[in-house]
Amino acid sequence: MSATGSVGGTARREPHAPEATLGRKADYLHADSTLRSWFLTTDHKRIAILYLTSITGFFVIGAVAAGVVRLALIVPNGAIMTNDTYNKAFTIHGVVMVWFFLIPSIPATFGNFLIPLMIGAKDLAFPKLNLTSWYVFMAGAFFTLVSLVLGGVDTGWTFYAPLSTAFSNTWVLPALIGVTIVGFSSILTGLNFVVTIHTMRAPGMTWFKLPIFVWAHYATSLIFLLATPVITTALILLIMERGFHIGVFDPAYGGDPVLFQHLFWFYSHPAVYIMVLPGMGVISEIVPAFAQKKLFGYRFVAYASIGLASVTFFVWGHHMFVNGQSDLASLVFSALSFAVAVPSAVKVYNWTATIHKGSLRLDTPMLYAMGYIGLFVLGGLTGLYLATLAINQHIHATYFVVAHFHYIMVGGTVLAFLGGLHFWWPKFTGRMYSEPWGRVSAVLIFLGFNVTFFPQFILGYLGMPRRYATYPVEFQLLNVLSSAGATILAAGYIFPMLYLVYSLWFGRKAPANPWNAKGLEWETGSPPPKHNFLSPPEVPRIPYDYPIQAQESQDQHG
Amino acid sequence: MTPNHAALELWPAAVSATASETDLLILAFTVLTLLLTVPVFVAITYFALRYREGSEADRHPSGIRSNLIEISWMLIPFLLTLIFFVWGARLYVASRNAPPDAMVIEAIGRQWMWKFQHPTGQAEINDLHLPIGQPIRLRIISQDVIHALYLPAVRLQVAALPDRYTDLWFKADKIGTYHLYCSEYCGTDHSVMGGEVTFMNPGDYQDWLTHAGAQQSKVAAGRTLYEAYGCAGCHDPGSAVKAPSLAGLYGSPVKLADGRTVTADETWLREKILNPNGDRLAEGYKQVMPSFAGRIPEDELGRLIDFLKSYTAPASGKAAQATP
Amino acid sequence: MSEGLADGVGVARAGHFETVGQQRAAATLGIWAWLITELLLFSALFLVALITRILHPEATVAAAKHLKFWIGATNTVVLICSSLTMSMAIEFSRIGWQRAMVRAMLATAALGGLFLVLKGYEYYADWDEHMMPFLSSRPFALAETPPARLFVNLYYVATILHAAHLFTGIALLLGMTWMAAKAGFLSRHQNWIEVYGLYWHFIDLVWILAFPILYVVNR
Repeated sequence: MSATGSVGGTARREPHAPEATLGRKADYLHADSTLRSWFLTTDHKRIAILYLTSITGFFVIGAVAAGVVRLALIVPNGAIMTNDTYNKAFTIHGVVMVWFFLIPSIPATFGNFLIPLMIGAKDLAFPKLNLTSWYVFMAGAFFTLVSLVLGGVDTGWTFYAPLSTAFSNTWVLPALIGVTIVGFSSILTGLNFVVTIHTMRAPGMTWFKLPIFVWAHYATSLIFLLATPVITTALILLIMERGFHIGVFDPAYGGDPVLFQHLFWFYSHPAVYIMVLPGMGVISEIVPAFAQKKLFGYRFVAYASIGLASVTFFVWGHHMFVNGQSDLASLVFSALSFAVAVPSAVKVYNWTATIHKGSLRLDTPMLYAMGYIGLFVLGGLTGLYLATLAINQHIHATYFVVAHFHYIMVGGTVLAFLGGLHFWWPKFTGRMYSEPWGRVSAVLIFLGFNVTFFPQFILGYLGMPRRYATYPVEFQLLNVLSSAGATILAAGYIFPMLYLVYSLWFGRKAPANPWNAKGLEWETGSPPPKHNFLSPPEVPRIPYDYPIQAQESQDQHG
Repeated sequence: MTPNHAALELWPAAVSATASETDLLILAFTVLTLLLTVPVFVAITYFALRYREGSEADRHPSGIRSNLIEISWMLIPFLLTLIFFVWGARLYVASRNAPPDAMVIEAIGRQWMWKFQHPTGQAEINDLHLPIGQPIRLRIISQDVIHALYLPAVRLQVAALPDRYTDLWFKADKIGTYHLYCSEYCGTDHSVMGGEVTFMNPGDYQDWLTHAGAQQSKVAAGRTLYEAYGCAGCHDPGSAVKAPSLAGLYGSPVKLADGRTVTADETWLREKILNPNGDRLAEGYKQVMPSFAGRIPEDELGRLIDFLKSYTAPASGKAAQATP
Repeated sequence: MSEGLADGVGVARAGHFETVGQQRAAATLGIWAWLITELLLFSALFLVALITRILHPEATVAAAKHLKFWIGATNTVVLICSSLTMSMAIEFSRIGWQRAMVRAMLATAALGGLFLVLKGYEYYADWDEHMMPFLSSRPFALAETPPARLFVNLYYVATILHAAHLFTGIALLLGMTWMAAKAGFLSRHQNWIEVYGLYWHFIDLVWILAFPILYVVNR
């Protein structure tokens, strides 16, 4: 593969694949248009669209709750709403955003749509199971919404016993049932992905030709399968205790409420990687496409995905350094947390190295990817502050934690989600979105995000505890700044919703491969035909077969 | 006694050697973070400009093997951060093992207040007075849900668990008044479950114990009765029975259901507790409170009223908004 | 697997698979992945049981003495027998003996039903002995050792969860038996029997873990 200094011309930007020549009737969106054909579909692409629509709805609910929280915190004395209203707002924000947006966000939408395309398959291994998982998701959503409509829940998304089992007077039970059910949806999705990636790859698509997106989803699916059942058990125990007094955490009878925290975090820490790994996969597709250069260190990133997914099972105790855990356990968990955090944060060096000597085009998806790289490295390294025992004793449960995980979840996952949404939007819908509006929103979100969450790092080490409806007056300035940032962020979120929907009807028709990107999903029409490929796709010799290749490809693939 | 703070401060006060060392650790860690991230920010920006599509840049492969780079940029930051693991762990272990001569203060958390008991028997609610120059160990437990006692000035917090004791020790060396928080979410009034910790010279502390402390103890004892007789179960904000809040009630006018307005003085409070019948009912409430006549001894009734006299709404809470 | 099959026994290929072999591999991997998930679900409960035992050894032993050891033991035997009949059904399906297979499946469902009946009787005996601490109308027999409640509660959660799995299993099995009795079933869906058999063995395995963990080691 040659790499020359003058490939930066525009000539190779011409899409090499044929224009979308399919008749409208042949693509998956227009093959059938009855309501029934959507709600009973087994096509992974349509199910992905069902998921995309539902999680967008949940994102709006969660975002409104976040708006309520930021509104309340403009004043220190809680004059805007009662403590109860505030507590319910942040609980709904957490429950909805974690379980109904972040966890399904990238896997259930992009993963569902793209994994079969990327590996050259006609569908996932179990299409009916895939549809079932969406219905299970919606059933869980129903219970959670019931809890919201009846009056909300105020335990925080972590549902710690005994507050959730014996003391809260709110609608905890439906929320618990909803979250338990949603877990099964995750398990079914993960199971489908694992089996599909193992058994459905096109001839010639070996493991080390898989895009990092697929590797990341494989790792994510392993976490779905191995961690979710544990929280299901923990939640079932909570439901039995709250609903039927068949409990094991009740301290009145010698039960140990911290045991619930162990079970909870055994899932919920790996769940962080459920949210992070797919985002890494998305960025690993976007960056090479917009640099027209092979991903730097492909094998390292692939192994790292699996490695992170494995080590992440052994660090849950770092959420409990100050909860009466033994000092030895804390030391071990702290050390292991360093071992998992550093390799994940330094993945950003791989993306940076990919940009080096590339031929860059700063379209919307790339802007999101660059924002992601910057925010994710900060989020990752501030995680190490929290993993350091002595520092944790100070900033545990303060706004430092809130800032840290929003840098990972919003700066990481949400930016990756939006970047991926713009990157694959032509593939999903067959339409191009408005590029100028896309860039404006990307910049707006990046700025709004930092104004919202950077002050929270400072609030944290100044000692403002999280989940406070009222707070000492000296923290007001930074809180107002944060709330102001949230309004910028909100504006940044509203734009894409408008221009993306607008593009569905009025957008320019998309070519099969608008970004001149590599990967089998670009070898078929936009939108793809019902069975993905009209003729079996040809698997390329190496993954990320871009014009500019790094040195290593000659060493490894010669 | 309110802590004096500027509108914006960028570093919190530290009153113990451990706290100062924690600050040093945070600062050093921040330097490392900048070392590891700023090059990334600079590089992304620089590459984005230098290697823009169409620019005349050298795009020949650099010839450096990627495995070597990969391993070095994974290993070097890891080893650097390990220094901080060791430093943090050492400091943590030191802060976990209290010296045997530490003065022990009992701390009890419940929804939504802290009760502290001094070794000499004085008790106080939500606020804590402590001497400097002496190791102090807080022995902490919760009566209901999980709470956590957080003292930012000494950079320490630990959970208050319902089923076992946890502890926290420090040696303050600066006098002053600082915040004291509950940092584990515990329900409705989580954010007002806290007060102030005041570090005093040992002499002042002894003074406080004999004067203000004794007074505080009486109030605390009244508060205990307020809990014990179940008053809190209905009258505390957030309780299932929406009884009027009693915070700030003493001395204020009360509108009654029959249209009269009375002033809540000692006598009226006493009668109201013993015989809360129709013509003393506050406007807008139903008659659900039982009579305590014959159920509460006179001396305890006195202490309870003493408590109600001193019971004001937490500074930042909203308990006072409800009029009785 | 396919080489051991008789003529006229096999699997109809679904459209999105390239080969029958691929379809079979997917089904096998899929059920194993599901069973690992299920095993972890129960493992977390067993872990809680062991932790309860470590925290409160005397109370746990006192509570475990009230469990009906012989009903549990009989149920273990019943389920092992049902696994045997399920294995026979799988073998019959491979050699194409449809009627024998259907009978073996019915026998499996019947043994599963017997397990539930015995379990129900055990719950009745528990109720009779005041071993249901969550019922306010029946004071707990071991009220003087409060931590005993924890183990008893865990026993209910674990056995109810297992019984729910078994109940679902029997319902699925009966539904499948009804379909499997029709002509041509084995030529199209023989692997359903194989896949389902794994699930049934799994339910059996969970009980074989639960019985010693709940009934035996604490005595």
